Amino acid sequence: MAMDLLDLLDLSQSVIDGLLFGTTYSLIGIGFTLIFGVMHKINLSYAAASIGAAYLSLIVVTAVPTPLVYAFAALVGGVLGWLIYLICFRFIPINNPLATLMSTVGMLLAIEELISHLTYGMPQNYPALFASSNFEIGQFFLRGDLIFVFLLGCAAMVALTLLLKKTRLGLATRAVAQQPVAAQLCGMGVNTTNASTFIIAGLLGGTAGAMAGAAIGVLSPLMTLPLTVKGLVVTVIGGLGSIPGAIVAGLIVGGVENLFQFLRGVSERDIYVMLLLFVFLVFRPGGLFAAPGGRD
Amino acid sequence: MSRTSRFLGTALATAAAAMALAGNAAAQDKTIKIYGFGAKSGVVGIFGQQSEAAMQAAAAAINKAGGVTLGDGSKARLVIEYLDDRCTPEEGINALRRIASQQDSFVAIGPSCSNVAEPVFGILQKKAGDASDSGIQFPIYTDVAAKGGLASISEWSFRNVPSETNMYKAVFEWIKASRPDLKSFYGGVEKDFAHSNSTFNVIKTHAGNNGLEVKGQAEWLLNDTNFSNQVREMKRAGADVVAISAHPFTTCGVLKEMARQNVKPKLLIGLTSSSSMETLQGCGAQAEGLIIPTSFAPVTKEAREAAAAVQAINAKYNMDLHSAAAYENVFTLKTIIEQQKIMGRPDTIQADRQKMRQALATMKETTGLLGKVGRTADREAIKPFLFVQAKGGNWTVAHTPAQ
Repeated sequence: MAMDLLDLLDLSQSVIDGLLFGTTYSLIGIGFTLIFGVMHKINLSYAAASIGAAYLSLIVVTAVPTPLVYAFAALVGGVLGWLIYLICFRFIPINNPLATLMSTVGMLLAIEELISHLTYGMPQNYPALFASSNFEIGQFFLRGDLIFVFLLGCAAMVALTLLLKKTRLGLATRAVAQQPVAAQLCGMGVNTTNASTFIIAGLLGGTAGAMAGAAIGVLSPLMTLPLTVKGLVVTVIGGLGSIPGAIVAGLIVGGVENLFQFLRGVSERDIYVMLLLFVFLVFRPGGLFAAPGGRD
Repeated sequence: MSRTSRFLGTALATAAAAMALAGNAAAQDKTIKIYGFGAKSGVVGIFGQQSEAAMQAAAAAINKAGGVTLGDGSKARLVIEYLDDRCTPEEGINALRRIASQQDSFVAIGPSCSNVAEPVFGILQKKAGDASDSGIQFPIYTDVAAKGGLASISEWSFRNVPSETNMYKAVFEWIKASRPDLKSFYGGVEKDFAHSNSTFNVIKTHAGNNGLEVKGQAEWLLNDTNFSNQVREMKRAGADVVAISAHPFTTCGVLKEMARQNVKPKLLIGLTSSSSMETLQGCGAQAEGLIIPTSFAPVTKEAREAAAAVQAINAKYNMDLHSAAAYENVFTLKTIIEQQKIMGRPDTIQADRQKMRQALATMKETTGLLGKVGRTADREAIKPFLFVQAKGGNWTVAHTPAQ
């Protein structure tokens, strides 16, 4: 199909919107990959807890300015992360990965149901910063609130990277991820480090939930499952345990999603996102930032 | 009379009085049950919850007025039992089978979702009295599931839902008559939900039939959160009238994106199911001016009392066109129970179900909260309706068409 200039502009705009929105996917993907990197386990309830944190931040929405609502969401996310660690990971035998996986599935469903019951399933308004600030650069239209989400997401990723690279907690996290026994022998508490990882991931998750709510404008229990799926896709494409991979993969997934929605429509859009995942699993199973793996 | 005789006489009189009192107490303890089933949990759980609340409110009003008169002339208290089908076909079929297996069930109100109603009606006996059809013989009287034509699936299925074809036909005829300046139409549709998808076809048809140029349509899914592509297409189309056939979550998402991209059509039309507090709570400011046809608004004394009764059950619940139908259904069924002398006992239950089905099938008219509700030959309802408009965070009546 030949494309005229207008179509090309629309296509470019779609990709730009997708890239900006993809920051939320990156944040969710980082949370998944951080926990996997340290514990080699998947926390399937991560996205649900992130949205839960955003919901809980609505408690203060009429009392404090919007930036503090986001900060509250991050704090609550940290608390939820710690609770999930306690309930789903801490006391489950370490050599039983299926048990922790299933417990996080249960936690995902429980959080989703709790949100539905407490809110009667009704969408809740969520505050956005710069919602009415939009920029027109030539023919392109950039949403001010999405740019803010993008920049805040980048800041959160930089902060996380600094924490991991420049602090003792980050050192302990990396040590436990690489060699838990050796780390323990060096005096690093594995359980304390794991709990800290969940708290850090939860802080990031709360931020991600708040940014997802701000980008969309409303919160709804409908958001938990799609964000979980997208987060997992991002984690796999980026490379399990790779934070830079999750960042880039989130943007790619956001861009690809919007691109194929423009080209093929809403009913085929997700097919292409899953095809992208399949291509990576076949040709680069380690993800974006891993050495290509051997095949069976 | 000897002392012994007097004593015996007094004892007998006392015993007789005690037995009479016990008989009355037993009558007051008599109950008759109407079952309901619908989405009580999950993301559309508010539909089932509000239907249940409306049914409980109706039952409370009936019981306050003395209860239901059974076939033997005794009075019974009306009890409601509501099952959750989570808006999934499998759970809906399970719920119906469980209800039909009860020895006190002779009718059920529900379900909430059209994607549940279709398969549930599909397991009913197609033609009443067909011995070769082993389908379930149990009457269902639907309150919410609104996709067109479902009651024709089985002669055991009946609906008290408004005709969206008639409502949207009236909307576009009104637009044509009152707003001749409006020339073009653009639609947005939630593609993966039976109700919104089928109603959109109705909306688009009537828009075209009433002289509006259909400039295109945008599509999204129930779970979508990003509508920038769709709204950009809408903006390019520049239509005078935009119709959004979607439920509150994505309706709000689209309206907010329209505000961001400064898309301001001259007229906005919404889906019937979005004429609820959910929409106003999620995006009241962006929904300002949105017009939706509905079969409920608190514009009559009965409607206001019913709305207040539902709020008394739980202040979080509101009466809308869906829960209003559930409320009406309970009163209709109460009338049928009394007219058909239904007993609701295990030994009468099969006959009760047949009587209920026959009565529902031969009904010509019922009493609704906005006025008389007609019945069609294919077991659907002809409900009075009006148009509401979002104004200042509330739904106000925009127009009451002649019907």
